[in-house]
Amino acid sequence: MSTDIAVPYLDISDPTFAMHSDQVRDARAQHWYAKTNYGYAILRHEYVSKLLKDPRLSQGSGQWPDHNGVHSGLFYDWWTTCLLVLEGDNHHRIRRLLNPAFSPRHIEAYMPAFEALADELVDSFIDKGEFEVVNDFSEPYATRVLCILTGIPQSEWTTIARLASTIGLALSISIKDELPNIEDALAELYGYAEALIADRQANPKDDLVTKLVQANAAGDTLSDSELRNALCLLIFGGMDTTRNQIGLGLREFMRRPDQWELLAANPDLARNAVEEVMRMNPTTTWVTREAVVDLDYEDLHVPAGSTVHFFTQVSGTDPEAYPNPEMDITAERAPHYGFGGGMHHCLGHFVARMDMTIAMRILSQKMTNLRLGGTEEWLPDSANTGPVRFPIAFDKR
Amino acid sequence: MQVYVDRAKCDNHGQCTFSAPTVFRLDEQGVLQYEENVDESLRDEVEEAADVCPLQAIFIK
Repeated sequence: MSTDIAVPYLDISDPTFAMHSDQVRDARAQHWYAKTNYGYAILRHEYVSKLLKDPRLSQGSGQWPDHNGVHSGLFYDWWTTCLLVLEGDNHHRIRRLLNPAFSPRHIEAYMPAFEALADELVDSFIDKGEFEVVNDFSEPYATRVLCILTGIPQSEWTTIARLASTIGLALSISIKDELPNIEDALAELYGYAEALIADRQANPKDDLVTKLVQANAAGDTLSDSELRNALCLLIFGGMDTTRNQIGLGLREFMRRPDQWELLAANPDLARNAVEEVMRMNPTTTWVTREAVVDLDYEDLHVPAGSTVHFFTQVSGTDPEAYPNPEMDITAERAPHYGFGGGMHHCLGHFVARMDMTIAMRILSQKMTNLRLGGTEEWLPDSANTGPVRFPIAFDKR
Repeated sequence: MQVYVDRAKCDNHGQCTFSAPTVFRLDEQGVLQYEENVDESLRDEVEEAADVCPLQAIFIK
């Protein structure tokens, strides 16, 4: 009977709250979900897999600006009409038009450019025997990948990184204070996107923006504003995540030099290595949904309007789904949910998987004996996590 | 045209249902159901569904 079940409680706004903690592991062992001070948290893989795709749950961040006192303006209009927060037929129509340009068939053409970029960045520090992951590799790599993908000149990557980071402040609780800066950054990014769209409409190329401009499903196409919104979402969603995930991956490998050497000797394992580090340490440590209607599942009752967090790192290390959860880049695993799931499954995941695969392969080919090279600093181990500063010393291979 | 979904790979995200809604659908339990014998006129839609599948679990014969 449901009254006999002791449901654990997690205070996820406590500054010391961490996904990698006995508290969270004990909660997962105790029950498949926990109560939190912001709704419910789903802890076990089986239930994350099932409920993450449940149509009774919506993406839920559409009201984020409203909840933080922002009710109109440039950012508001973009956020409330972009794919991330759309639901139902409005979502499905745009998702359908965007999806093909991000499929492996079209993305693989970018592989040589991503490889050349990774080589160039690694060559800039390889003889020094040390590098700072964020500044020297993951931030320029993640941003210049987006430049390559969209056709923005790579020489402008620092501007793009600054704009993406500034718009990212909209996800923090300081959204209202930062709104003028956020809107200036978004307006500047709109300028880039509108110029690209106009250019590819006039001068089609064999590239991603042209494919989006020409996307057509039974006569339906994306309007100029839908194209612009999508390009801005791509840059907003693709930068921090990739930057952070590469840092998290390198930390996993620094702890397991045997796995790093295995990867170096078997570069074909790089794709699986990316899946493994995302399973164990996803940058997106939880994915949030909101109940559209009252939702009942086994002993869980979620009233309409309540929040449900899917704990990706916790479900990715669930011993029920992963009997040997230690890092093993040769293992065939059940899928992880580091890219979310269901209709809101990450649009750019094939790009992210490919660029991170290339990064891990090339880094492992060129350096060995990775060790901490100075003082490291990390974002909190919840929400979206990753390194702020992560110096690594190494031996050139 | 014969459509085959590798159930061991499929994770029921439902992206295929946007590309080819008359061939693929999620049932009330959220499990993928699909037509195995599909008219040739739907080839483009089914190929698009196979291309965009996050798990690359859809095959066409």
